[in-house]
Amino acid sequence: MNFQIASVDSIIIYFGDTISQKVSNEVLDSFKIIEESNLKNIIEIVPSYTSIYIQFDIFSYTHEELYTIIKDIVNTKDKKTNKKQNNKIVTIPVYYDISVAADLQRVATLNNLSIQEVIDIHSSSFYKVYTIGFSAGFGYLGEIDKRIKTPRLNSPRQKVPAKSVAIADTQTAVYPKQSPGGWNILGRTYIDMFDKKLKGFSYLSIGDSVKFEPINKEQFISNGGII
Amino acid sequence: MRHLKVIKAGLFTTIQDKGRYGYANKGITQSGVMDEISYNYLNKLLQNKEDTNSLEIAFGNIELYSDVETYICVTGAKCEFFINKQPKQNYKVYKINIGDTIKVGKILEGQIVYLSVKGGFHIEKELGSNSTTIKESIGGLNGDKLKNNDTLPCSTHHFTPLTKLKKRFIPRYEDNEEIVLRVVLGYQEQNFKKDQKEKFFGSSYTITKEFDKMGCKLDGVPIVCDIKGIVSEAISFGAIQIPPNGQPIILLKNRQTIGGYPKIGFVIQKDCYKLSQMKIGSKVKFKQITLEKAIELERSFKQLFI
Repeated sequence: MNFQIASVDSIIIYFGDTISQKVSNEVLDSFKIIEESNLKNIIEIVPSYTSIYIQFDIFSYTHEELYTIIKDIVNTKDKKTNKKQNNKIVTIPVYYDISVAADLQRVATLNNLSIQEVIDIHSSSFYKVYTIGFSAGFGYLGEIDKRIKTPRLNSPRQKVPAKSVAIADTQTAVYPKQSPGGWNILGRTYIDMFDKKLKGFSYLSIGDSVKFEPINKEQFISNGGII
Repeated sequence: MRHLKVIKAGLFTTIQDKGRYGYANKGITQSGVMDEISYNYLNKLLQNKEDTNSLEIAFGNIELYSDVETYICVTGAKCEFFINKQPKQNYKVYKINIGDTIKVGKILEGQIVYLSVKGGFHIEKELGSNSTTIKESIGGLNGDKLKNNDTLPCSTHHFTPLTKLKKRFIPRYEDNEEIVLRVVLGYQEQNFKKDQKEKFFGSSYTITKEFDKMGCKLDGVPIVCDIKGIVSEAISFGAIQIPPNGQPIILLKNRQTIGGYPKIGFVIQKDCYKLSQMKIGSKVKFKQITLEKAIELERSFKQLFI
């Protein structure tokens, strides 16, 4: 663990240099511990793959002070309690079909699999929400099974339809809104990933476990899915 | 309810306050006023609470009709400002009555004008803030910029001191002046060699047209970083990204929450507010200061408006 100055009122704490399951678990466990400690005068806590960014009230802490406090909280809790995991499981129904998934065939071909095998593999794992960013409610989920690992498109699409479920390298995600993007589209959900009716507006929270559940055309359409 | 009616909305007028905090880990940008200096003066002059909402007027040309008896004030960029076609001054509180018309015309010096009334506009907050983020349709009036015929609800006020700011405190924005942005090294600064840091602090950069609430792209001597990219991580207000082309980008209020470009450090908040009033084509230079100095400057700036 070490930290860097991120701004006049924020620090960024690093738990490792490269993306790995181990580092990410450490980040997510620490995030949970920091959140639950209810430290006063903290403005933002933003975990990512290897780091946690913390913005604080400039009159309440110095950078060094806050880092020392956080380090103590994380280290003591870590030893005392069994690893506290976020056990929330979120299911996302997905209509996997070439009519809504421009890259289903590409992913199958590049990996020498049938389309059905791609669907089975993608929908059989539990994924962790490593971080949320890029746009509101856009969760970076990982890791996907090596058998369907596929690089980003050579040139990104101008318009990825809203609610597309996609993969890139070892990651998978749902596009909350129509946006440009270079990920391989495997299907589409009817869930609003970013919705003002939801608490915090986001369907996913960092640390959630996500499972994709294949649905058929009728189920997709009857729940408001759009082809 | 009593209100101001929007006759002409202008090209880009939004409702903003200090911003939306605590939701960055849901991917929601902080948003908020670009220039907290002018905005804080506005609330101070109207004796409003420090986070009271205001209009952020980016290209002038806005006209309002008053259906309320209250007090109004305009701060920020030097601009044409009229009440009932009579020219008025910035940084001064005026009483307005039912039937009055208020107009902010051309922007003459600086970029952004702030306008509010006593008590602010009565608009429901979303996720704790009135700041408009158009990309996510959050805040403001239906998550959008102001449109003709919009209604800005506000209450009647009979008494408020008609204060004005002393001339020597009014920020000035001389055109094309070169400004100095004070920088503290941070984030990936160890991945920039000494000669690159010297280049960064020794050169003058031009503000490009890619300059908005998200950030400010600069053009000048390219800076080389030892690493190409980093594992995506959270980005602070004022952070200076150095993308592969070496041209610095200063991230502002509507920045994306996380990103994968290396960052050499950050511009202090006060100087980000000054930058927000600069014209495309203006020059900026970076000056290194210590973290201790930056904290001292930031604390005294905040104390000025508490």
